[in-house]
Amino acid sequence: MKPCMKRFLLILLSTLVVAGADAQSRKERKILFGSSYNYEVAVLGVGQDGTKVFKVWGYAKKVDDAIVQAKKNGVAACIFRGIPGGNGAAPTPAICREPNAEETHADYFDAFFATGGKYLKYVNLTTDAIPSGQDRLKVKGGYKVGVAMQILYDNLRKDLEADGIARRLDAGF
Amino acid sequence: MLNISENLESSMKKIILSIAAISLSLAALAQAKKPTIMVVPSDVYCISNSYSQQFVANGVEQTLPDYKKMMQNDRNMRLAITKLAAIMADRGFPLKDLEQELKNLEQEAAEVAALQGKEGGEIVESPIDKLKRTAKADIILDLDFNIQKRGPQNYVTFNLRGLDAYTAKQIAGAAGAGSPSTSAAPELLLEEAVISYIDEFNGRLQTFFDDMFKNGREVKLQLKRFGSAAFDFEEEFDYNGETMMFGDIIDAWLEKNCVQGRFNRVDGSSNMIKYEQVRIPMFKESSSGRQTAIDARIFANDLRSLLRKPPFSVDCKVYQRGLGEAWVVVGEK
Repeated sequence: MKPCMKRFLLILLSTLVVAGADAQSRKERKILFGSSYNYEVAVLGVGQDGTKVFKVWGYAKKVDDAIVQAKKNGVAACIFRGIPGGNGAAPTPAICREPNAEETHADYFDAFFATGGKYLKYVNLTTDAIPSGQDRLKVKGGYKVGVAMQILYDNLRKDLEADGIARRLDAGF
Repeated sequence: MLNISENLESSMKKIILSIAAISLSLAALAQAKKPTIMVVPSDVYCISNSYSQQFVANGVEQTLPDYKKMMQNDRNMRLAITKLAAIMADRGFPLKDLEQELKNLEQEAAEVAALQGKEGGEIVESPIDKLKRTAKADIILDLDFNIQKRGPQNYVTFNLRGLDAYTAKQIAGAAGAGSPSTSAAPELLLEEAVISYIDEFNGRLQTFFDDMFKNGREVKLQLKRFGSAAFDFEEEFDYNGETMMFGDIIDAWLEKNCVQGRFNRVDGSSNMIKYEQVRIPMFKESSSGRQTAIDARIFANDLRSLLRKPPFSVDCKVYQRGLGEAWVVVGEK
């Protein structure tokens, strides 16, 4: 084989390897961006009565979409995972305590978290301007955006209880 | 012929399914007995803030909390109780108020002493009745907090424990220290502490209730005997074709009637048997076929029914200690 042919084959091979690796990471990124468990929450303090105040991050290709995702994540964290403690606030348990509530009530939550859906009713206050500095990170394939928000936790809990999604404390009595 | 039998089979299936659905819906409609909840300031809070009384009992000096004095003087505690009560009422558990309960008890004692019938008859009250006239709740929220100073800053340490009054177990709790603040008033920090910890506390309370509905209500049961009883608890009887000691027969009855046969015999002698962690069902079917809520007293009444029948044929007294503890005293009513 001629040396130029060898060189050509080597370049072709390395290009394919790099492209393959990139495809893999892109796939992983897509999974990560779309994961419903990817909530990063940092509590900012004790909220007013019936509310929770925290910063939550969202991922998306565009900053605007990442902000929307962050709002959804904030509400979803209250419902499915609970909020960690910090800055003088004690941890808050998840509203839906049954495992896999997200899948059990899939139809309800699909409508709830639809774009412009009911979840927005509980996001009371956010830093809705385009975040800057550490709150807007350019990551490969998009943006990671941190949004500080106040969630109307008690209203959210009461509505989910009324809809039969969450169990009331006095249920059965 | 085949068609008739198939029709019969399908209609039987329908009947069985309907009966099952009706029983299930009846069980779902039944409501368990709701525990009462009351906030009681912890002993350490009352004593360290000088809301206490000194007694000498059997030559030993005792210090006990003076709740009345505390409620009349401590604005911070009243604020914390009011906040807790508002939140718990919102969650479907209006709290019993300690201050009102103490006032009611005083009033009740005065009324019992003064009340007379048209023919001059007075209300009969045994020493036990008088002893039972205390502020009670099924779940006690034992509350302690302290407003601390660190240089120019104030911060609150907070400790809220949910105690099952009968099993003496801590069923929920939340404790910690709030963020120090230079500007916020101590009252504001206290309110913040209540708001901060109550969701965690209620989460644990919910776990307790979930366990109660799944594994039965945990109660205590004691068997005692009057001196007039015809036999002691080591007496042997022929029961279900076997000769067994009285205590072992009670064990067998509990195994059959407790949820998943769960109970723990912690002590026993010829005169008493003590059971703890007795898991009684939340409901039972009444004679009319309806599901009714039960507590320790009703469960103990079922045991009394067993003892009134042969081979025991003995009268018993069922003594109630709230929702979660009952004594069956063998020998007399």
